[in-house]
Amino acid sequence: MNGYMGEILRVDLTHGKIMTIPTRAYEPWVGGHGMGSAIFFDLVKDKTIDGFDPANVVTIMTSPLCGTLVPAGSGRTEVQGIGVQSYPIGWFTRSNFGGRFSTMLKHAGWDGIVIEGRAEGPVWIDIRNRTVQIRNCRPLSLWGTDTWACQERIWNYVAGKGAFGDWLTLDGGGGGKTTQRPAVVAIGPAGENLSRMACLIHDAANSSGQGGFGAVWGSKNLKAISVIGTGSINVHAPKALMEARLRQTNTYAFDLDNRKGRPLSTVFDAPPRPVTLWGTPRGSKRPSEGQRPVACVGCHAGCRGRYESGLGNEAHCAGTAFYSEASSLDIQRRSSDLLNRYGVNAFEAWRGLEYLRVLNKEGVLGPGKKIDFPLTFKNFGSYEFVEQFVKMIAFRNDGHGHKSQTGADLGEGFVRAAEKWGRLEGEEGDLKTGWLNFPYWGLPNHYEPRAELEWGYGTILGDRDINEHCFNTIFWDVLISRFIGGKPRATAEETVKICTEKMIPFQGDHLMMDYGTENMYSEHMAKLVAWHRHYTRFWKQSALLCDFRWPDFINPYALDKVGSTGESEQKFFNAVTGKHFSFLDGIELGRRIWNLDQAIWTLQGRHRDMVHFADYIYQVPYGGPCFMTSRVNGAWEYVNISGRCIDKEKFEEFKTHFYHLEGWDPKTGYPSRSTLRSLNLGTVADELEKNGKLGKG
Amino acid sequence: MGNKKQAKQDGTNGKITRRSFLKLSGAAAVGMWVGNALPDVIWIDEVIAAIPASEGYLLVDTKKCQGCMSCMLACSLVHEGVENLSLARIQVIQNPFQKWPHDLTIEQCRQCVDPACVAACPVHALEANPNYGNVRMVYGERCTGCGECAAACPYTPSRSLVAADERYQNKEKAGKCDLCAKAPYHWYKKGGGPHGKQACIEVCPVKAIKFTKEIPLQEGEAGYKVNLRDEKWASLGYPMD
Ligand code: SF4
Repeated sequence: MNGYMGEILRVDLTHGKIMTIPTRAYEPWVGGHGMGSAIFFDLVKDKTIDGFDPANVVTIMTSPLCGTLVPAGSGRTEVQGIGVQSYPIGWFTRSNFGGRFSTMLKHAGWDGIVIEGRAEGPVWIDIRNRTVQIRNCRPLSLWGTDTWACQERIWNYVAGKGAFGDWLTLDGGGGGKTTQRPAVVAIGPAGENLSRMACLIHDAANSSGQGGFGAVWGSKNLKAISVIGTGSINVHAPKALMEARLRQTNTYAFDLDNRKGRPLSTVFDAPPRPVTLWGTPRGSKRPSEGQRPVACVGCHAGCRGRYESGLGNEAHCAGTAFYSEASSLDIQRRSSDLLNRYGVNAFEAWRGLEYLRVLNKEGVLGPGKKIDFPLTFKNFGSYEFVEQFVKMIAFRNDGHGHKSQTGADLGEGFVRAAEKWGRLEGEEGDLKTGWLNFPYWGLPNHYEPRAELEWGYGTILGDRDINEHCFNTIFWDVLISRFIGGKPRATAEETVKICTEKMIPFQGDHLMMDYGTENMYSEHMAKLVAWHRHYTRFWKQSALLCDFRWPDFINPYALDKVGSTGESEQKFFNAVTGKHFSFLDGIELGRRIWNLDQAIWTLQGRHRDMVHFADYIYQVPYGGPCFMTSRVNGAWEYVNISGRCIDKEKFEEFKTHFYHLEGWDPKTGYPSRSTLRSLNLGTVADELEKNGKLGKG
Repeated sequence: MGNKKQAKQDGTNGKITRRSFLKLSGAAAVGMWVGNALPDVIWIDEVIAAIPASEGYLLVDTKKCQGCMSCMLACSLVHEGVENLSLARIQVIQNPFQKWPHDLTIEQCRQCVDPACVAACPVHALEANPNYGNVRMVYGERCTGCGECAAACPYTPSRSLVAADERYQNKEKAGKCDLCAKAPYHWYKKGGGPHGKQACIEVCPVKAIKFTKEIPLQEGEAGYKVNLRDEKWASLGYPMD
């Protein structure tokens, strides 16, 4: 089994038991999300349990590509389980993070970790090669630490007297030496206090942010997992892998000696540069001090930075945007550090703070107001303000260590808090006016569902803000060219042709990429959403290619701008594993995994009738700009999709198209036996039938 | 072979004392001077036989490196056919909580002019290999895995590393940087070594590793840890100095 270590670690926290699962038992799912969903399906008998139930199982999976030279395909770790962030149901969900955790886990000899049960008191898991111990947090005083202090304490403990930078001989089974410190993923106070927007943090800022997995770990009394290993990952064809790597980066990656096209953040050819949004809305600003790019293991183009002042080390994207109106760049950078140290989801904190400011402006929220809230909004922009705010979320108090009901409410997430405050009721409820900008499953708006259809539809048909930038690069490319200048990387026609040509098995259907109002509920749009779900479920979330670098659609370095997607993914996969996988095999396996997920959501209680956006998406037109591909008098153009709502009835038509395309019962959205059987998921169909939830057809 | 010839011609027979060499060159100019004028002759401690200088060296820029460890993965891939950071002959060591540039270091083999590892090996399993530009190389068949070379290496972490080697029935063997001279999984048809291609250099996405034939300044780190940042790098918002 090249690319695999052969075993998955299974830890039962309730009974303090360490067990193993042979990876081969789940090999048909390849790795990452596929394996995680399949293990979850097998181990969690009652899928209707709450995320805080000790029976909830959290899987932390690698892929065969992790820890190898596959560019932007080596460093991610996929986390799954029943989440606690979404509303009204905490869906079975996922969130992956970068860095070096998956590499270290494989060096230690494990393809993944399965966590179940709840420890009696706070513990952490210490993995040194094949030696695994569940340790009490007390000797190191870990419970109560922030995520950075926790990691450093564990490093020092594991390293013992070993000096930083010297070889460390592992006392765990297998021996071996390493110069590295353990890869630790930890929760901060937010997780300990069961804040539904709590993250897992690894190194300075790699975070598994969505789903509230920090709180799930907190409920299990699990503070951290530390792993250090020295073993080898076998590769089927080392020469072919090296050749493929060099060919890929020499042909398709940025070239400072020959710069081409607009250097966007979420493309294969992005230069190594921190993606930070500090300084917006006046335009993002990089700190003008000594710094380097920072990359996950094996990545050709890092997207984070480390700085001379140390402020905002490794902070990234939304983690740098949430307090972008602070009075100074330093405060913004320190606010990013607060999120990472306390382990708080940046997106929910960002959109949530926007919401609180609206309520404060309207005179309903603040000290002594109807919603008695301990933050003094006239201090907005200061460090004291944001520190108190983040601490309120993390500690569920007033941010200064005193009890506060509204502080406690924040830990429930903004939609649940708003509901508790009576803000969702009536015709002017905050999800009707859009004051509370949380459009899908009680989760914060990321890219606009009324305009970026594959994002919005993909999210509401799934479990979380998809956060998959495959087509979103079009939005950024054209937006920047309109407002800052320069040409987009390709014309609208080129974009449509290049992308759709790669979208097998629907290749060549150009209308998949018509984001115009006429086409937004069509079968073609359903195909775009389905292809996106299938591609990402396998290639991004199971093979674990990085969302920021894959797929490679439009590439200014490539012949005729035709990027490498469809050619390269499987080349790397086969060089590592020795399998004979095609690109389409990956898409088909993605479809299989997506079906399994849909079956799990169905068992959790999902029905077609629930699949709806928040009301404001149907009632309030989207006001911002969003240029996407559409036809104008038969010709492809970048069209500003502004000023529209989603039509609620027509969205029903879209759902029907989508369910037909997936082979699910259009009445209920339940997967059908024939579809599941065709995907070799007969036992899943049996389980649905047993629960009265098997779709017709 | 060139070294031996020259050694005979200049009458030293490859032996030249540190004292006499320094007298000749001036300590401050050791790196450049040796590199340009006497590429094949080195200074050594009083009585040790001369070891011809390596014809190639790796230089790194620790302020430029993005910490991706691709160089490490490439190293074990071309040498052992596996991915293993612990087997990499170049080590990138990081602390994400530290301030730049103290958050990262790269420790590569220096192919020392006066290699303590070579001197320490009791069975002559670690020697300058004339077939590969005198790169200091482990002969696996001879190596007993005693670890004397690693213990003798004056640098931290030691640049030679003893580990179980599958090619020798998992017996302990030393491994050290050979500039990819004897890398069984080398991808390039002309191979590696000082006259070929080195995996870490080829794979580094930011060109933070460079090859040179010039002997770097041996005292301290400055000869090996260099500035490879230019205007193009600075155009991405990074410092050049
Ligand atoms: S490959 Fe280059 S950038 Fe990556 S760790 Fe090695 S030296 Fe640094």
